[in-house]
Amino acid sequence: MTLHDFDDLRLDHLDRDGALRQAADNLERTSRAGFLAVAAGSVAAAAALARPQAASAQLATSDVAILNYALTLEYLQDAFYTEAERKGALSGPAAQLARVVGAVERAHVKALRNVLGKKAVKRPFFDFRGVTEDPPQFTRTAVAFEDLGTAAYKGQAHRIKSPEVLAAAVGIHSVEARHAAWIRYIAGTPPAAEPFDEGKAMPETLRLVRATGFVVGRPRTGARGAPRFTG
Amino acid sequence: MPDRVTLRVPDPEAAARALWADNEATSRERLIQRAIAAGATLVAGGVVIAGLPRLAASAQSPEQDVEIFNFALLLEYTQAAFYAETVERAELTGELFEFAKVVANHERAHVDYLLEALGSDARDEPVTDFGNATGDPDAFGPAAATLEDVAVAAYNGQAANLTKGALQAAATIISVDARHAAWIRSIIGEPPAADAVDAPLTAEEATSRLAETGFLPEEQL
Repeated sequence: MTLHDFDDLRLDHLDRDGALRQAADNLERTSRAGFLAVAAGSVAAAAALARPQAASAQLATSDVAILNYALTLEYLQDAFYTEAERKGALSGPAAQLARVVGAVERAHVKALRNVLGKKAVKRPFFDFRGVTEDPPQFTRTAVAFEDLGTAAYKGQAHRIKSPEVLAAAVGIHSVEARHAAWIRYIAGTPPAAEPFDEGKAMPETLRLVRATGFVVGRPRTGARGAPRFTG
Repeated sequence: MPDRVTLRVPDPEAAARALWADNEATSRERLIQRAIAAGATLVAGGVVIAGLPRLAASAQSPEQDVEIFNFALLLEYTQAAFYAETVERAELTGELFEFAKVVANHERAHVDYLLEALGSDARDEPVTDFGNATGDPDAFGPAAATLEDVAVAAYNGQAANLTKGALQAAATIISVDARHAAWIRSIIGEPPAADAVDAPLTAEEATSRLAETGFLPEEQL
């Protein structure tokens, strides 16, 4: 299953707040620019993420762009699982997954924001339009998000300059793959369908994210299903 | 199947030229290299097993790719033999056996890929002894989880040491092994993804984890 299966969920092809397009533009610009690979003492992923103030000023511009791209995807996952847990419509293994994976994705957001400091992109607004309250749709979407997250990190790994950032990225990459297999197992779909997982380049990933229509320009107001004021 | 990576060892003259170029590097680059080397010693304790690079070695090279891919080949050979024997014995049932059959094919594909990439530099297939772990369902699950977890952590630990092309290829395998790990852990009721970040293992740590399984005679590690 891929995000292509989510065409039926597509309400909005536009990236209304421009956050995703801006991230793509940044990458496009910096990938052509020169860079200085900055030395990192320890390559331990945990240390990289635990650093209270990893100076983003020392990072190559292209690494900053990649980290912000990752942050955008983590924001999406964080919001999705956090909302699913809060809505409380899930039960059993799916509810447990939402709780655990939600906590992990929030940790990824926190860690990436920590590394990026002031260079971190803003959190976009999301509208999951009831998907987090509908167990089958939740599961399908979670599979797509985790497969996509895995492919997205994989698509960037070889482009990362800083060994420290790379160590953190590969450590997150394999966790996203674990999540993908976990939710696929719950969904009864093959956890590992192919012997090799292919990466996805940034434009393709962002196109797929935009196609979900989950990223919106402003916060949704009013509870879903609440009586509308028609006055 | 990812694109084939070339892991040919360059000729000695080219290696000498590279060394020469290194001497002429700017002082800033030398500083950076020293900083990396210092960090590496700190992390890995300065101990290098079987000539494998330290966790944070600075200079990637095709020669080092060969060493790392050969280490990966040892892990994949072990996994492939483990699942092949399980399938052959056919003593497991249900989803454990389904898992073994699917993953056996994947690990064989990983071995074939690494063999193709390494060519004549490939190490020999290790002799393995899995005891009852390939027939006893209670032993199979934890053993499979260990083999997959160690492989993921070992690959992750070498990511920064690989050349970019080799890393790109390895990454297509890493996440599949991570999927296997989460899959078998789901089946046996262990947390599929216990941590926010998969901690890397140095080559020596991964080797010692592999030794603890007792599946490989010590002289092959």
